[in-house]
Amino acid sequence: MNTSLPLLSLTLFLPLVGAFIILLLRHSTSKVVNTVAIVSATLSLLGAIGIGFGLDSGFSHVEELQWIPALDAAYRLGVDGISYTAVLLSTILFFCTIIYSTKKKEKLGAKMALFLLLETACLGVFMSLDLLLFYIFFEITLVGMYFVIAGWGHENRKKAAIMFFIYTLIGSLFLLLAFLSLYIFSEPRTFDMRELIANPPLSGMVATLTFWALFLAFAIKTPLFPFHSWLPLAHTEAPASGSAILAGILLKLGAYGFIRFALQMTPDAFKEYAWIVMIVAVFSVVYGALVAMAQTDIKRMVAYTSINHMGYLVFGVAVAAMIPSTSGIHALDGATLQMFSHGIVTGLLFLLIGAIQERATTREIPALRGLLKAYPILGGFFVLAAFASLGLPGLAHFPAEFQIFLGGFEIYPWAVAIMLLGLVLTSALYIRAIQRSFMGTPDKSFLVKLKDLDARELCAFIPLVILIIAIGVFPNLILDSIHQSVKYLSIWEK
Amino acid sequence: MGKMSEDLLTILPQIILLLTAMSALVFEMLRKPLGSLYTLIIGMLGALGLSIYRLGTVKTAFSGTFRSDELSQWAVIILSGAAIFIGLLVRQELKGTDREGTVYSLLAFSTLGSTLLAGSGDMMFLVLGVLISSLTGFALAAYPKTDSATEGAVKYFVYGSVTGAIMLFGLTYWAGISGSTLLSASENTNQPFLMLFGFGALIAGLGYAASLFPFHFWTPDTFEGAPVSIAAFLSVTPKIGAFFALAQVMKILPQHIVDYNLILAILAAFSMTYGNVVALWQNSLIRLLAYSTIAQAGFFLLGIIGINHSDLGISSLIMFGFAYAAMNIGAFAIVQQVGKKISHISGLAYKKPFMAVAMTVFLLSLVGIPPLAGFAGKFLLFSSAIDSGYTWLAVVGILNSAISLAVYLRIISPMFFKKQFENESSNQYLIQMVYISCFILTIGAGIAVQVIIV
Repeated sequence: MNTSLPLLSLTLFLPLVGAFIILLLRHSTSKVVNTVAIVSATLSLLGAIGIGFGLDSGFSHVEELQWIPALDAAYRLGVDGISYTAVLLSTILFFCTIIYSTKKKEKLGAKMALFLLLETACLGVFMSLDLLLFYIFFEITLVGMYFVIAGWGHENRKKAAIMFFIYTLIGSLFLLLAFLSLYIFSEPRTFDMRELIANPPLSGMVATLTFWALFLAFAIKTPLFPFHSWLPLAHTEAPASGSAILAGILLKLGAYGFIRFALQMTPDAFKEYAWIVMIVAVFSVVYGALVAMAQTDIKRMVAYTSINHMGYLVFGVAVAAMIPSTSGIHALDGATLQMFSHGIVTGLLFLLIGAIQERATTREIPALRGLLKAYPILGGFFVLAAFASLGLPGLAHFPAEFQIFLGGFEIYPWAVAIMLLGLVLTSALYIRAIQRSFMGTPDKSFLVKLKDLDARELCAFIPLVILIIAIGVFPNLILDSIHQSVKYLSIWEK
Repeated sequence: MGKMSEDLLTILPQIILLLTAMSALVFEMLRKPLGSLYTLIIGMLGALGLSIYRLGTVKTAFSGTFRSDELSQWAVIILSGAAIFIGLLVRQELKGTDREGTVYSLLAFSTLGSTLLAGSGDMMFLVLGVLISSLTGFALAAYPKTDSATEGAVKYFVYGSVTGAIMLFGLTYWAGISGSTLLSASENTNQPFLMLFGFGALIAGLGYAASLFPFHFWTPDTFEGAPVSIAAFLSVTPKIGAFFALAQVMKILPQHIVDYNLILAILAAFSMTYGNVVALWQNSLIRLLAYSTIAQAGFFLLGIIGINHSDLGISSLIMFGFAYAAMNIGAFAIVQQVGKKISHISGLAYKKPFMAVAMTVFLLSLVGIPPLAGFAGKFLLFSSAIDSGYTWLAVVGILNSAISLAVYLRIISPMFFKKQFENESSNQYLIQMVYISCFILTIGAGIAVQVIIV
């Protein structure tokens, strides 16, 4: 489909326009703020769905405008199956999170404006086809998230926000280094990602160093063990909606970076060191699951399972770097789908935890009891999301993880075997949590007298619930476009 | 047209600055400080406009002793603009004080000194520039006649005279070896030790003006004692002049005899790290910003290292100089409005949200967060360093950016997340004008990088 409408730019900047409108109407009622926020998020979501109709195997909907011709940096946008998955995920999850946030009264305008700014930044990261543009959006996500955590978090929010900001800034500065080296060694010098993907410019020592700079940047963001220590604190202190965005989308920035940059721009170095990445990934899988098991705070527990899930994902990418064959394609398909699955499942889990916290005033698993009986819908959704998260067939994570295992099994059956252990552990911890906190009779003493999910919460949760089931049953909904692009990546040609 | 008049035409922007300074002084004699201010603004606009018009033409004057190239033209543009902003800040802060008009005159003189530095092709211009800009600096810093101002000014003066004398002494060796005071004459020398000695002395003189580690000791005390607007001036104008001068020297200095870049790289690493780490412990906004200017001084050196090795060297210096002037003056302007302590700025976002947002933008720009001007500058600086084979220095710079974030978050966080706001000062229109202009420049320059890249 060749339209003259700049669909990507529209989808990208609609949320930002919404944010400006909210800031301009500073003294308006919360109703107006909510309407503006929901309308811009909805339009952006519709735009993202529209983009899906014009996809082919390479980069589609490409837009290019001159910006700094002297450096060959330009405003370049475009999506392929891999980035489109992330774009779609972002618009869906922001839509749901913004609906969920319409209730909180405190500084509502500023919060909505920040969320919309974050949405533009995240979409920009996934749509950029220019290193400089990518980096700009990448950094804006940090600033936005810092203010979300510091402004609306829980008791320890300031420390958590500062730690998050500085830790991830170090990562992104290494990213800047890597980008500069890609730029300086490309011939002729360019920031055009399509060029850099088609002809990876680096070789030898420079390629190795650049690869490790990329690895460091994205391992902090993803996060992988041992670069994860900012994550639990950030999640414990962030508001529920902030956590949903952080886990659902910002972590995908790292995952996407592994695929787009490390895999596509330094393929040889990645191939050479894929075994190290694999070990780190496998370790993250087991470590994330084990530490999650030790948590009593349900939010921290889910936060640690993110490390576990991202471990599978990075393992899949490493497999793709190592074996450019059908197995590699399977693994990369799975890894990309895992981005989407983890986004909707963990996003939903964090929003549900927010809803639980409002009603029960605590997140401690031992203290919670009988949630299923007290709040059947809320509890039911949580159990469903938990089952999805532990990888139950028929729900969203299964097709993704299955493909990753399938791809990895060919070269490293032992690694897959260890990771299956991670799967067992997450199953155990979720089932234990469900048993303790959702079964049994509710303890009326500390449950705030709030009803089960209200209309606002239902509107926010139901789309995610439907998607979790839909992706589980018909993974091809998303997988088709992913596979179309993954199949034709230039990395298989060697 | 004779050779002489052509030369005078080449340095017309500098002549305009000189005339501005003298006319401002005349108005002060007539006891009309506002006249001095208007003279300053008009003169600076004239010099600025002329230099913008001349961008792209490269000339030398007086047998190669003065250069009118990108560096010196941009120096006039950046520093004249800075002088106008500072003039407005001074008006707000020192309005009605005795001898107000002299300040405007001194600002113009100091700007003249720095622009001479930025175009120097000869040792005499270096000496002249350093002397003009530091002599006027002493007077500006001592202006309020309070104890702390006097203390700061005396420190500035003592350091200045010692480093100035060392520089003069060292440069005589250069002149002795090459038989000429022209910088370009040093090309055929083969006396590494004497060259190195002269270079060290030069660094002492220029490093002092630029508050570069280890010649920075005057900076925090002088800034704290001086009026805030003067501190803003001292943090910007002499620094940019000195670094551009160093760039002019490095463009010519034969690199095969001594590895000057290594020396600069080590100084850069120390300056960045020292400035940022010490800034972490400051409780006064002025002192914090003072140490941050020491750190930023280190970043300038990345561009100077790249001047011979990377085609981005000059662009990065100009871009960062521009960005630095805009974001630093903006941050100082807001400090001038709210007060000198961190506690003064707490809760600013509740009373003056736009001012808090602007301050955040200035500080994040100092960190180097895109798409702000500081990012564009640092991005080019890092590129130029990597291009010149100094990747390790770029890594040091990057780690320092992370530390500097911790420094600036100490201001940002209380602005938004602490409630009490002690300072109930009324809106000061000139300050508002300045910081809003700086705000626009900081954001605009980050996006319109193309205009500045040469």
